[in-house]
Amino acid sequence: MVRVIQGCEQTQQVVELLARFELSYESDVDELLGVWDSHGRLLATGGRRQALLKMIAVAGDQQSGELFSALVSELIRRGYQDGIETFFVFTKPQNYHSFSAVNFRLLCVTDQVALLEHGPGLAAYFRRYQGLRRTGDNGGVVVNCNPFTLGHRYLIETAAQRVDWLYVFVVEEDRSSFPFAVRLDLVRRGVADLDNVIVLPSGPYAVSQITFPGYFLKNSAQVEHQQHQVDAQLFARHLAPHFHIYRRFVGSEPYCQTTQRYNVALNTLLPEQGVEVHELPRATSAIGAISASQVRRLLRQRALNKLSQLVPETTLAYLLSPACEQTVRWGDSPGRH
Amino acid sequence: MEIRNKAQAGTMQSSDMMVFVEAADELIIEIDSTVFKQFEHLIRQRIEQQLKVLDVSRGRIRVSDRGALDYAIDARIETAVRRSQEG
Repeated sequence: MVRVIQGCEQTQQVVELLARFELSYESDVDELLGVWDSHGRLLATGGRRQALLKMIAVAGDQQSGELFSALVSELIRRGYQDGIETFFVFTKPQNYHSFSAVNFRLLCVTDQVALLEHGPGLAAYFRRYQGLRRTGDNGGVVVNCNPFTLGHRYLIETAAQRVDWLYVFVVEEDRSSFPFAVRLDLVRRGVADLDNVIVLPSGPYAVSQITFPGYFLKNSAQVEHQQHQVDAQLFARHLAPHFHIYRRFVGSEPYCQTTQRYNVALNTLLPEQGVEVHELPRATSAIGAISASQVRRLLRQRALNKLSQLVPETTLAYLLSPACEQTVRWGDSPGRH
Repeated sequence: MEIRNKAQAGTMQSSDMMVFVEAADELIIEIDSTVFKQFEHLIRQRIEQQLKVLDVSRGRIRVSDRGALDYAIDARIETAVRRSQEG
């Protein structure tokens, strides 16, 4: 019988069970379940944070039975009640067959992790945007646009001149100052005059909120390296072939080291998988290279006269609107570009 | 019967299936199965047949199958459809 983990004592049992598999316990879960035997021994545990299943472990002597599938079923049943349809899990590459056996599909696998999904997933994502699919020598960019600047405009316009169709994947998550719906809308308005540019949400399939499981990787450099590989594989193996994308365009990054390392990683990883990477120089204005973080800073300082040098009219109109005042969250979100 | 609300039935334990149903304008049946290659057409046929018995002509039916036998398919589909009637 699968039950919810309650109290310190049970949590301690979870910590110990996970430790046996060199997994560490993370408290940020929406749900944490366990299965006990009649002596009160914890036989299996598993948690869920939004759409991501995590910390799944089954005691060694129980692995041949149905505990694992009972546990995963219950996590999915409860998650579905919370409105989630597609579930993700990271696991060690040698263990991914356990998840395939309960209808998880492998999305990508590196030397250290495998990412799988269960539910409508990628197939439903492709179906939703079927009408946007074009044949040709196409390109792609992945942008957060928090918010859309003249720098993004320059990147997209330049890239679009070099391909038949340019896909602009807007990172679909709400962890930036500007909510996803606003970011997407400002990108659409900002490139509306470019005939061969197709703007679409990234789903969870690019620079995703499927946050990476630090819990089975030793250090942050290793986590980042794996994350880059997963992201590159998702793009090269799934998005690129489906949309006939042969070239990925990125803007050079003068400020943010995280993005610099991401660009370097893409430069190595994507060409190995058949996608060329073109790094375009960052557009500049009279006040330096254009970045969305600079726009956010100026907006916070109410330096509105300077903003018009950094964003197109479409974005400016929004920034000056009352809607913007009410919607934008400054919070402590690090916010990508 | 009409599929009204989102509902779920079954598990992903061996020889069972997990069924998810929701309202839709047409009948859509999506199957994930560990025995998809060999038995997809038979699973689909059985689901269609049971939906006919329940007089369900539209809705989205998604199943995650682990080799469920016919009677298990029937039971899981019926339970999910009935649950979809509840608020």
